[in-house]
Amino acid sequence: MKNEPLANLTATLLLTAFLVVTLGFAIEGTFETRAQIASTFARQAQIQQAQLDLEELLRLQIDEENSLRGYVLTRDPFYVAQFRQAAAGYDAKEKTIQKILSEEHLSDPGQLLGAYGYLQSKWRDEVAHPLLRNPRRPLVEFDKRNKLFSDYETRTVASIRETLAGTDAGLARSTQIQLDRSSYMRAFWVLVFGLLAILFNAFRSRLNRELEHERTITEILQRAFRSESVPLPHCEVGSAYLSATSHLAVGGDVFDVFRLSANRALVLIADVSGKGVDAAVLTAFIKFMIRAIALRQSEPAAILSEFNSAFSKAVGNPYLFVSMFVGVLDTTTFRLEYGSAGHDCAYLRRRADVEQLAVTGPVLGVMEEPFYSKTIDLDPGDMLVLATDGLTEVRNRDGKPLLGGGAMQLIARGAAHAQQLADELAAQVRERGGSRVHDDLAILAIRMMDMESARA
Amino acid sequence: MRSFGIALLLLWTTATAIALADCKVHRGDHVVLYSTADDPSVLIWDSRARLRAYHAASFDEAQAMLPHAILVAPGTRAIVISCVAGYIESPLVAAPDDAIGITISSGPQRGVTRWALGSDVRSAPPDHR
Repeated sequence: MKNEPLANLTATLLLTAFLVVTLGFAIEGTFETRAQIASTFARQAQIQQAQLDLEELLRLQIDEENSLRGYVLTRDPFYVAQFRQAAAGYDAKEKTIQKILSEEHLSDPGQLLGAYGYLQSKWRDEVAHPLLRNPRRPLVEFDKRNKLFSDYETRTVASIRETLAGTDAGLARSTQIQLDRSSYMRAFWVLVFGLLAILFNAFRSRLNRELEHERTITEILQRAFRSESVPLPHCEVGSAYLSATSHLAVGGDVFDVFRLSANRALVLIADVSGKGVDAAVLTAFIKFMIRAIALRQSEPAAILSEFNSAFSKAVGNPYLFVSMFVGVLDTTTFRLEYGSAGHDCAYLRRRADVEQLAVTGPVLGVMEEPFYSKTIDLDPGDMLVLATDGLTEVRNRDGKPLLGGGAMQLIARGAAHAQQLADELAAQVRERGGSRVHDDLAILAIRMMDMESARA
Repeated sequence: MRSFGIALLLLWTTATAIALADCKVHRGDHVVLYSTADDPSVLIWDSRARLRAYHAASFDEAQAMLPHAILVAPGTRAIVISCVAGYIESPLVAAPDDAIGITISSGPQRGVTRWALGSDVRSAPPDHR
């Protein structure tokens, strides 16, 4: 049972890690597929460019032939210029295609293109240039040889065209396969991610239910053991209690006002280390044990000392300790005798001044140290304000804690009446924490009244 | 001996029938010559063996065969006198082509009988007959 929170935390972290890893794989896979498809598309674009260039090459070749025919028929030098322009264009285009084929490592079409270029060059040497030099040569012979070149070139180009189309189709198939694979992988990762998310959610819900259950028990216990404001003669008593918003932070803050006799009252506030049901149960232990001791012992130091001894024996947990303020107030003379076991959230407001009441001993449950008492004579109008560390440790949105100084300022400019002041302080804590209360808070305020006012 | 003769005749008839069945034109068909190469003129050859050799040969070998060919203008009409299906094979063309025996029926070579490539021969529309 003790290791359950740790196991829950480990399981939560493991599930979160799985989710993150799954998401990482899915994202990485998507980028990898994208890169592969981009690469295939780039190759396909190159091949398609080569196909277009090949058609352009054919057009330039026909231009060359037609220019030659035009010159032979008309003897117009314009056609010679046209012939040379087409020939230069043909050579440049052939180089461009050869470069693409070389980049794409297509050796067979590369060789065919080389053969095509060789034929064209041979055609120029054996047919075109002799005719340009002597256009009166018999055309029949020219036509036959031209036809021979044409047949070979057509067949060569058809073969290149076929190879390029095959490569293009292969790349398209490859893209399709990559897209299919990507879709399947994405579906797989979405499925895994979804299942993990469902698992995570179910686990979290179970954890929340358990925590809610514990919180409910804790709050019921706290409510059961918390003191209502007991009226004291010649005093005005106010109190406030805030439970932490987080399930895990609900813990053991306790306060008590208990009449020991007609004119003596026990004033108690304590903060138990630790949270949850265990801490809440301890608050009951503290409250009733202090009451019992206070009925026998009149001095706060003796009360703290006896409690310290009993607590150490009863609890036996070295990690559990309590900070506590115990006061015995004479309600007729307003003499307060108190002992503070490591509890520094105790203040006295006198007119406009607020002072912090000194700590008189170590926290309880840690060591067997002597405790001391202090005595203060209060005046009518003075206000004793006791709180737990939920007041001084509340942080604003910038993460800055209120601390003792801030608490004293709030008390100094707070309301005159005890209950109003307690409510104001609780409201300030809630507001400063941005509507979230990170730790429990108990406030007890006791205002000394003059006899006239008290009677009124 | 008579049975052997009949068997031979049957074998020849069957072979001829199979060859003719696969051809896209048949004996007596009127056709027009037109090449799908860049130059639409058509080379016609003095034997089907030479026609096949031309398409299988290297450029230099083919050039040496040119004296055995006549170049006819595109649109020249002819009549089919025989056809051998899939006879022509070329290292650069995937599917084999037919060798078609023709007699030219128009133009300067009218009356000449030669061999042409199947893909250079098209059935003539009715007004060309």
